[in-house]
Amino acid sequence: MASHTQCLASLARLSLTAPARPTVARTIPKFLLPAAAAPLVRHAGAGGMRKRPAKKKKVYKSFRCFDLGPMEQFSLCDAMRYLRAFEVGRPPAVVKYEVAVKLRTNKSGPVIRNRIRLPFPVKTDTRIGVICPEDSPLMVEAQQLGAVAVGEESLFESIRQGNIPFNKLICHVDSQDALKKANLGKLLGPKGLMPSQKTKTLTTDLKATVQDLIGADEYRERSGVVRLAVGQLGFTPQMLSDNVKSLMSLLKSDIGNADDNHPKMLDEVVLSSTNGPGFSLNGLFPPADENLKPEQLQSVM
Amino acid sequence: MVGAIRRLNQLTALVRIRNGPGAAVLPQDVTRLHMEFAHKLNGGHMGPRKFWRDALPRLKYWNPAIPMVVNRSNNQEGPATLTLYFREPGATLGSDIPQPSSSAEGFAKAPAPAEGERALTIDMKNRRSEAILKEFMDKSGAVAVKITAQDEADLREIEEREAMGAIARENTKKMNDAAKREKQMIAQAHSEAAAIKADL
Repeated sequence: MASHTQCLASLARLSLTAPARPTVARTIPKFLLPAAAAPLVRHAGAGGMRKRPAKKKKVYKSFRCFDLGPMEQFSLCDAMRYLRAFEVGRPPAVVKYEVAVKLRTNKSGPVIRNRIRLPFPVKTDTRIGVICPEDSPLMVEAQQLGAVAVGEESLFESIRQGNIPFNKLICHVDSQDALKKANLGKLLGPKGLMPSQKTKTLTTDLKATVQDLIGADEYRERSGVVRLAVGQLGFTPQMLSDNVKSLMSLLKSDIGNADDNHPKMLDEVVLSSTNGPGFSLNGLFPPADENLKPEQLQSVM
Repeated sequence: MVGAIRRLNQLTALVRIRNGPGAAVLPQDVTRLHMEFAHKLNGGHMGPRKFWRDALPRLKYWNPAIPMVVNRSNNQEGPATLTLYFREPGATLGSDIPQPSSSAEGFAKAPAPAEGERALTIDMKNRRSEAILKEFMDKSGAVAVKITAQDEADLREIEEREAMGAIARENTKKMNDAAKREKQMIAQAHSEAAAIKADL
């Protein structure tokens, strides 16, 4: 607001001579020129803006967990009955059952991250790319294992051009340095494809890793929740139960392996489907309704 | 993860799947259902779509063992039919009847009735879902489920909650609109002042 002295000066000048153009002092809104509009003297006790100290927001160290007392919990078959009603008429291969496992955990610290081979795989469209030295026996091995893209510099070049025909990428240790030099982190990182020791995609044994990846699903903890698709809509209650059980047993071992400084605990298991609501599970299998039998939940969707 | 209270409210809303139009138990001799219609509403496919969205989940909840297959296609001029399959009196059906599963690409055509089965077709084109449901209930012999006292109380509670939610939503909208208007006025005044300054 440096202009108000200028403005007053020009006003003074204008008062001596005939105004060449209409004066504007009156049209300037009051709140833009408070000094010109109001007297410059300030009186004590006139109020004024007193700055209050900003309220400090409470920072929680752990993710919020709710009291599950009032939460209605369902057995697996009951939840399936509702979900099948919500998903009626949908193509069964497209619609998935999903499990969200809420953990009691701190916001900081390591997260749970693992790979699981479900007894009944949910998706079967794994396409693997392998980074290994060109023209080596490893390349032939990778091709025999069913990799859709194999190579080193040629593969990097095609990735740079946006040609990514795979949804899983593994790297042999021999090509590790070449991968580092290729600077592909920006392209592959956001897609979760960058090979690393952490995700067990940097390997010395291509065969074992490829077999591990095919039909295996990855899960990781995000915001204190582990989410994973555990079944297709066409699965029977028994198939879904097997998948959920194997996931839970692996998760429990993951939780047990968490280090003592960052303890984790299981809080809630929620089953939902692509278009359905989430059902908190109580860990039981048989339906609560005695008229319903698990066999009735196997019909074609 | 979605908050516990919101999820809890969604679960109490399950009372709407257990009750309402379409909550009915089909007789023992109904073996399967098949629906066929188009993805979009033009060409008289609105009613069938609404029937699928509103009534079919309730039917599926009360008759979990009966296959209910929906075949949606992109052909808006195509038919909109509901086919009911009945077991002939005294006949026993094999367990290996070929049964396509639902499709969104028009691949699940209505199968011909198997041996010992008869089919009944309801034309759904250019009809409202209520009319379709009424004909369906008459022809299938389905028995509507009576609402329990507990469910009735739950339903009333949900309706009250939604009414209160609507009021709160309206108030919030008013406040938001007022804040937006004020912001706009200030921005306009600022731009006018800038124009005046540029003139000086």
